[in-house]
Amino acid sequence: MKASYFGAMGYSERQNFPRVWPIPPVYHDSETSVQSYQDGMEECEFAEEMGFDWLSFSEHHYSGRIPTGTPSVMAAAVAERCKKAKIAMLGHLLPLNNPVRIAEELAILDNLTNGRVVAGFLRGTPNEDQVYSINPAEGRGRLLEGMDLILKALTEPQPFSWEGRYYQFRTVAVWPRPVQQPYPPVVVATRSDDTIRYAAEHGLSLAVSFLPVDQMEPLTDKYRTWCEEAGWSPGPDNIVYRGSIYVGETDRQADEWFDSLMQSRPGPNIPLRRTVAEAIQSARTGGDFDLRNVVAGSPDGDVVGNSLGINFVGGPDRVVKQLKEFHDRCGVGVVDLLFQQTRVDHRGVMKEIELFGNGVIPQIKEF
Amino acid sequence: MPEKVFSRAVFSEGQVEADGFSIRFWEAGQGRPVLMLDSTGWRRSMLHDALAEKYHIFSLELPGVGDSPANTTSQSVAELAATAANAASALTSERYTLIGTSFGAHVALWQTLQKPEQVEALILISPTAIVPQNISSAATALEVHQLMFAHPENARNHEPISEQIFAKERDLARRLNSGVHDSEAEARLGEIRCPTLAVFGLDDCLVSPEAARVYRENIPNSNISIVYDAGHCIIGERPEALVNSVADYAERWETFIIGHQTGLINP
Repeated sequence: MKASYFGAMGYSERQNFPRVWPIPPVYHDSETSVQSYQDGMEECEFAEEMGFDWLSFSEHHYSGRIPTGTPSVMAAAVAERCKKAKIAMLGHLLPLNNPVRIAEELAILDNLTNGRVVAGFLRGTPNEDQVYSINPAEGRGRLLEGMDLILKALTEPQPFSWEGRYYQFRTVAVWPRPVQQPYPPVVVATRSDDTIRYAAEHGLSLAVSFLPVDQMEPLTDKYRTWCEEAGWSPGPDNIVYRGSIYVGETDRQADEWFDSLMQSRPGPNIPLRRTVAEAIQSARTGGDFDLRNVVAGSPDGDVVGNSLGINFVGGPDRVVKQLKEFHDRCGVGVVDLLFQQTRVDHRGVMKEIELFGNGVIPQIKEF
Repeated sequence: MPEKVFSRAVFSEGQVEADGFSIRFWEAGQGRPVLMLDSTGWRRSMLHDALAEKYHIFSLELPGVGDSPANTTSQSVAELAATAANAASALTSERYTLIGTSFGAHVALWQTLQKPEQVEALILISPTAIVPQNISSAATALEVHQLMFAHPENARNHEPISEQIFAKERDLARRLNSGVHDSEAEARLGEIRCPTLAVFGLDDCLVSPEAARVYRENIPNSNISIVYDAGHCIIGERPEALVNSVADYAERWETFIIGHQTGLINP
């Protein structure tokens, strides 16, 4: 099993923000922000030094939690510091972006890193639909067409026109070509059947985020079945799991941290006004939405959203066992880990990377 | 981009009595009620026609503005707002969406503060209640008219109000202390419980750019909308953009932030 360090680049004072999304920019302090990115890049460097195989970056918008709205920029900066690890884009939110632009960014990154890029495509969390005013009902269609267009743009040697449902380009000729041919490894991050099937049928990898192992297992079972039907068998690098982690020096110390976290009653990671959240979900599933049926919430904004659990907690040996369960039951070959947790500062993250590098990586490499 | 054409609604004129005033109003459309308080009386616009396609519109001529007689009775914006609320009660027993423009938005703000049970949603277009810019007391109707537009050619394409109406409205504004920062209204913004949209032209030189963030920070369920390439008189410069923002908010309130226009090019 390979380890991937999720370069979240969290703004260090994010825990002091109000529980809303988006976070108003008025809370931003330049000095804190500059230092936070420096800290995040230092964590990536140290993770590479401690044996992490991948460094991952993710597109999220309008908050300090994962302030990498342009993940290619972040990846390019880190790639200049880290010369060995794979640079994994996990990933770009295709429905929000011009797919040709994403193809160009991936190709340039692959050149800058001399072929170390892993591409990742996903639809994004519901709040992201608001960022560039994408109709939530069309997100899935945009994702599916965007993936096809990017793969075509990266592989077609002659300029071409694209007459899509959501995209129309009369000249596409991506330059430079990616170093990895025909294109870099591609991961599709999803839990939905149609996109899992798309990944299987196109020979692409699958990533699943934050689900418990019991819920992930049926997804990877389906993925493997559909891969076999498509005539290929996924290898270890083809199944990626992204999870949250806290690794302590001992199980007891980790449990104490977790208990203190629970006592602080963490709010949702992406708190949305209830009416907005319900409207997006309804639109995403093709339903009608009548605001007046659900507007009984307080004007102060009852927020909804999931408070993400911590998927891996413990001392190094317990964390190894937890990771092994994902490996054995789901076939996970790459685990992409979010270390930047609530109530863990930069020094704490660095300490965890060291613990993980010394106590966990040598063991999971044996899986 | 094809121009959006709205059917021309048939507005009928009426009168409603409130607080000793005989207030003219114009009415059109069917559906949920929308009360509009315009800044200088009745001036039919694309916004009126667009909203009349879906709503039952009442556009009030506030006492002392437009062609109405001089208002020498009202002593504050809040008092004028109470009169507007009483007029609204006489026109409809339902809760309504309240839309105010410029000075009318200042009145609408106070109307909402005083009669929150009547107002379902509040839309403030170029509101002058918070940090308005100083205008010389010697300014003429034409000079103020020109200040309302980002582009001189747009000012020339719209008729300014007459000096007589301007003088009457200026006297009212001075007595009501309108046109200066309303710190009492600002202090009470947090009391507004209904969904609220505040719309500003990016190049509005009659209201400070700081105003928008004051509404956003203080009204719990509020959004601000900035209209590009428009001054204070948004309807005179970017009418389609204003209609798009206001009509969408009137329909969907805070969920108007969710994109709903199709990006489908070809099925």
